[in-house]
Amino acid sequence: MTAIAAATAASTLAACGGSDDGGGDGGGGGDAGANEASDIGITEDSIKLGAHFPLTGVAAPGYSEIPTGADAYFDCLNEAGGVNGRTIDYIYRDDAYNPTTTSQVVNQLVLEDEVFAIVGGLGTPTHSAVLDFLNSEGVPDLFVSSGSLLWGADPETNPYTFGWQTDYESEGKIIGEYIAENFPDAKVGLFLQDDDFGEDGEAGIRQYIDDQIVAAERYTPGNTNVGPQIAALQAAGADFVVGFNVPSYTALSQLTALQLGYDPQWFYSNVGSDPTLVGNLLNNFSQGQVSDASLLDGALTTDYLPTVDEPDNPWVQEFQRIWDECGGEGELTNYRIYGMAQAYTTVQALQAAGQNPTRDDLVEAIEIAGGDWEGPVLAPFRYSEESHMGTAGMSISRITGDTTEQVEPVQLTDIGDAPIEPYDGEPAEVPENGIPNEESVID
Amino acid sequence: MQYFVNVTLTGLTEGMVYSAFALALVLIWRSTRIVNFAQGSMAAATTFIALALIQAGQSYWVALVVALLSGLVLGAIVERVVIRPVEGGPELNAVIVTLGLFVAIQAAIAIVFGSAFQSFPTPFGLEGFQVGDNRIALTPNSVWVIAAVLVTMALLVVLFRFTRIGLAMRASAFGQEVARLLGVRVGRMLTLGWALAAVVGSLAGLLIAGGEFVYPAYMDSLIVFGFVAAVLGGLDSPIGAIVGGLILGLALSYVSGYVERGSALVNVAALVILMIVLLVRPGGLFASSTARRA
Repeated sequence: MTAIAAATAASTLAACGGSDDGGGDGGGGGDAGANEASDIGITEDSIKLGAHFPLTGVAAPGYSEIPTGADAYFDCLNEAGGVNGRTIDYIYRDDAYNPTTTSQVVNQLVLEDEVFAIVGGLGTPTHSAVLDFLNSEGVPDLFVSSGSLLWGADPETNPYTFGWQTDYESEGKIIGEYIAENFPDAKVGLFLQDDDFGEDGEAGIRQYIDDQIVAAERYTPGNTNVGPQIAALQAAGADFVVGFNVPSYTALSQLTALQLGYDPQWFYSNVGSDPTLVGNLLNNFSQGQVSDASLLDGALTTDYLPTVDEPDNPWVQEFQRIWDECGGEGELTNYRIYGMAQAYTTVQALQAAGQNPTRDDLVEAIEIAGGDWEGPVLAPFRYSEESHMGTAGMSISRITGDTTEQVEPVQLTDIGDAPIEPYDGEPAEVPENGIPNEESVID
Repeated sequence: MQYFVNVTLTGLTEGMVYSAFALALVLIWRSTRIVNFAQGSMAAATTFIALALIQAGQSYWVALVVALLSGLVLGAIVERVVIRPVEGGPELNAVIVTLGLFVAIQAAIAIVFGSAFQSFPTPFGLEGFQVGDNRIALTPNSVWVIAAVLVTMALLVVLFRFTRIGLAMRASAFGQEVARLLGVRVGRMLTLGWALAAVVGSLAGLLIAGGEFVYPAYMDSLIVFGFVAAVLGGLDSPIGAIVGGLILGLALSYVSGYVERGSALVNVAALVILMIVLLVRPGGLFASSTARRA
């Protein structure tokens, strides 16, 4: 509701802004000291950003919280003065995880709301639907909320699009190497979503433990009966199951395994493993024989951001402060941390793009400076002219009750046959007010 | 072997769920000659009422009774208020109205109860029975589902075959004019038919929800399979609905379990099965006779 209201108020503003050139007028980054309406969506005192998220429907649990985190971050940022004296006007719209709706709302954001950039649009099938549109319109398409290789592996075809989180193939490789080293005798079964997500993950993991894999079962999102798939993993004798699946299917796979008396070592990829969300999903069953979160006890997972169960982490503390001061109802969750961390990177990009950036300046700034940015993410980004891939690494942790304990520190890698190496960098310091301070790299 | 047993049992349980839904469709078809596309949303609405009660601390059984009663009331209201005005016109009108109702009720659920995923509790356990050293994919909850569907089917057969009111309902559905001339209160019978169908639908909704996740659109995929099951069985026969549901459940489970990437082929397989059955027996497996058209 707030998003729609914001949109109406904002489109009036945009009409006054009245910049009708398509960018590239070279007015960006001037050091004259005065703010100008340097491109579509930028006025002297505001920058308009748009996003699409599933706020309703199958994918809404968890994911609908991401934009509320980003919104809280931008609110606190605006109170502290914004970016170069401009406030961020953040508009997010509901696409219900339906690609047709995504096209519709992104059209609306670009053509009616006239946003400067799209930030954090969520989902592989959904965002694929607008990839060509955004790139042909020359709209910066920053930090897609999905680990598909589509966003960053081919910047020549999609020069305006950037990934953000660790891609699924690199994640698969890190998981594969971990299993090869720590569970060399395990018979591994794969539980995969039947699309890019599962395919990329499988490709990565097979690079390291192809000979240990005894079964690969695929489920189709929407088909909630995973009985045959879980039974097949059991029948193949898999005693270690790696899931590249979304959270609701983590819950379904756990329920089905319980039904079948199947008790392998579980390893859920980052996407499907949020213990709070899965616990909430299973909550009502606790009246029966399932005791909610404990079902995931002992499962392994990966991380590329600090999580809410690390209250001593300075980033989590800062995000907690932001959520308390500028957030809405509810608790700080891992999804909200995700949204805030993404907003943090967005502010780094805007700062690096200079005082009066054009859309092309923003893209150039990320390519030049993005690889050096530090922040809440555990591993550096891979941004350059050749790659628009997001962060390069992950750590591995074990879920114990409501918390997690790290079992392997951050490992770095890349797509293809890039090696896996331990990351030797230190965690980044939290800047004042949680607001980054990047130099402009555009002159 | 254990794999085969588990895939079969999974199919049987899923099939029973399709059957339950098909039964509600058959009931409304028998008593009003309308295919009710809103059945799924109506069942979802009563399921959410039950969930709200359970979350407020009531027992599953209280929630079940309240859900069935609200189904009864909802069915009667829908018939009186929404369907009755279009009943005299072409049959298609009423069917299209139910489609509109389907969307409207779903939206109403989202407004009242929110659109979040929530798990729905079961009165019985979700762990499979132990047979020898193995646990099989049959849970106390699936036994409850199967028993509840079979009992409902038996009650419906008794109602339609052995009671005056069942006869009057069938008569009203077949030939309103004739039935009215013979002294049947056709209006009441139609309302009763809708109300009863909604009760069965509510039961189906609760059985489907138990041990699964509910959200306003959770019945959507089941609507399709429920229709296929009902048409397989002949749309006219409660026993046909059960058999149709079981065949569909088993077939889809085997496709999912034995075909490479089977999970993606499940929807296609449902269509293929439907086509084959309708080619061989155009009236469905249990069609009583094709000549009986009023």
